[in-house]
Amino acid sequence: MTERLQNIARKIGGPLYSNRRLIEYYWQRTQRNKLAVLGLSFIAFLILLALIGPFFTLDPTLVNFEENNLPPVGFATEESVYNIYTDEFTTTEISGTWKHPLGTDSKGRDMLAMIISGARISLQVGLIATGIAITLGTIIGVLSAYLGGWADNILMRFTDVMMTFPFFLLLVLIVFIFGPSLALIVLVIGITGWTGTARLLRSEALSLRTRDFVTAAKALGASDGRVIFGHLIPNVASLIIVIATLSIPGVILAEAALSFIGLGDPTTTSWGIILNSGQQSLDTAWWIAVEPGIMLFLTVLAFNFLGDGLRDAFDPKSNI
Amino acid sequence: MNNTILGVSHLKTYFFTRRGVVKAVDGIDFELKRGECLCLVGESGCGKTVTALSILGLIDSPPGRIIDGEVRYNNLDLVKCSPKQLRRIRGKEIAIIFQDAQSALNPVFTIGDQIVEQIRLHLGMKYTEARDKAMTLLKEMGIPSVERAMSYYPHQLSGGMKQRAMIAMSLSCDPQVLIADEPTTAVDVTIKAQILDIFHELKAKRQMSLIFITHDLGVVAEIGDRAVVIYGGKVVEMAPVSKIIGNPKHPYTAGLIDCLPDISKTTDRLASIPGTTPNPIELPQGCPFHPRCHKAMEICSQQQPPEVRISEGHEVSCHLYQ
Repeated sequence: MTERLQNIARKIGGPLYSNRRLIEYYWQRTQRNKLAVLGLSFIAFLILLALIGPFFTLDPTLVNFEENNLPPVGFATEESVYNIYTDEFTTTEISGTWKHPLGTDSKGRDMLAMIISGARISLQVGLIATGIAITLGTIIGVLSAYLGGWADNILMRFTDVMMTFPFFLLLVLIVFIFGPSLALIVLVIGITGWTGTARLLRSEALSLRTRDFVTAAKALGASDGRVIFGHLIPNVASLIIVIATLSIPGVILAEAALSFIGLGDPTTTSWGIILNSGQQSLDTAWWIAVEPGIMLFLTVLAFNFLGDGLRDAFDPKSNI
Repeated sequence: MNNTILGVSHLKTYFFTRRGVVKAVDGIDFELKRGECLCLVGESGCGKTVTALSILGLIDSPPGRIIDGEVRYNNLDLVKCSPKQLRRIRGKEIAIIFQDAQSALNPVFTIGDQIVEQIRLHLGMKYTEARDKAMTLLKEMGIPSVERAMSYYPHQLSGGMKQRAMIAMSLSCDPQVLIADEPTTAVDVTIKAQILDIFHELKAKRQMSLIFITHDLGVVAEIGDRAVVIYGGKVVEMAPVSKIIGNPKHPYTAGLIDCLPDISKTTDRLASIPGTTPNPIELPQGCPFHPRCHKAMEICSQQQPPEVRISEGHEVSCHLYQ
């Protein structure tokens, strides 16, 4: 078992360690795309924020009605209070305080803490659901190409059916039946989102499987599983990395959209949930909806920029 | 007796395509004796490679299928073996070397990793043991600075080096039979000489039984013990190499020998066999060679020629010798 683990570690870590030159080469090519570097920095910042941020912020679930609807630092709003003794409206100006740098929501919860805990959830959703989708897509796509014939036909027609199926409707249906739970949402996004990956990898693997090294591997006694996992999939690894990077934002947006229409997991503070709670008070407390919106916008943009950069860097035919 | 290690009889491998049935191998018989080097000779598309792939059951199906015949190895019929049995034989008992080492090596793994994988798969060695064995093999193949070569990817090696790495990989499990599919075709003459030296050594040191596929009669004369000449998916002549070169009986073999340029004569044009290899979908009736044969008789286009024994170990399929 340890021997096996060591072997896997060697297969993955070995090339990274022994091939610093190649890694450097790819890094240099990626660096030439300034937007990709910007995207990568933002993602790194976000991951750091999600990992250690919650230790430094207030409790995102702490409700405090004394300090509700506080604007962010540097902004001020007016609040009218009706005074029953003078029968007058007194208008007081409320400005943001450093205790709540990004303000508070209608229940007095700290927006900064909520945004950071939302980052954690959105990244989790993005990474786990993409992980499930990419794994399924890779196996189905490469298997389909490798087996060929009727197996290929069945798998690809199944993929077509899955592609045409309105998965958002399925998501709504499942959430309606089983109740909103983040794990369920992630799972459903994962097991419905593999179709594009399968298609792309199938076409790539089709050209690989007729190459001599596949016949050579078989001639030296490799089993079908070894050919698929040991020879075909490593050859499409760069494509898998690019597809994964580019499909993370879609997944994050899907979760946000679901939360926005009120089908998100109410026990979490994902960006979509905050967005949803802020939409009613857009005229009085705009920051509640705008802040998670900006974060979503930047995150999606960052992943897309990085994916584009990686695609160009991994493509030996592109001149950058 | 029984010094035959691999026997191929009545082997027929057809490809069922949309345009018709391609009879790539149409009834081939030969026997490989222990420790000998048997050459399969023929033009492009005559079925040499398909024969080699059929022996190991590597024909892509569909469209290909072994229709008939058997491949005997150690009381086993490889045609009827289960995939699992075949996998244990491939690489460990019978290994194959491909023509183009560049495409036969996986581009994303180092040479070392690929040889080690092969050794571990069949011999169940630990990584470090397998690594040592791989390095010894590469050293034997005459690769300099083995330690570094192990960490090279295929594209970082020259053609000759890649071919040697391929041979090292094939030999890593000490196979009984080694099939070499045109190992000298894609390399230049100096490398060719070096690779032939390696094969000479294999024969001398390891008593390896070799099937050497080539279209180069010079290579056959250099390395072969016996030769099987194939035309249109059929064996036309089988004899010891000295007889094939010195006293060819079949008009096709004779034609091939005539095509070799002779350095002692000056000629304007090199000799050639008129016409091209027949379309394997519509092989000619009778003897497949008769449309190009200058000695063709009426019977040649009607009946398949029988196998005729000229002398001990020299058989020819031609109506001329009946």
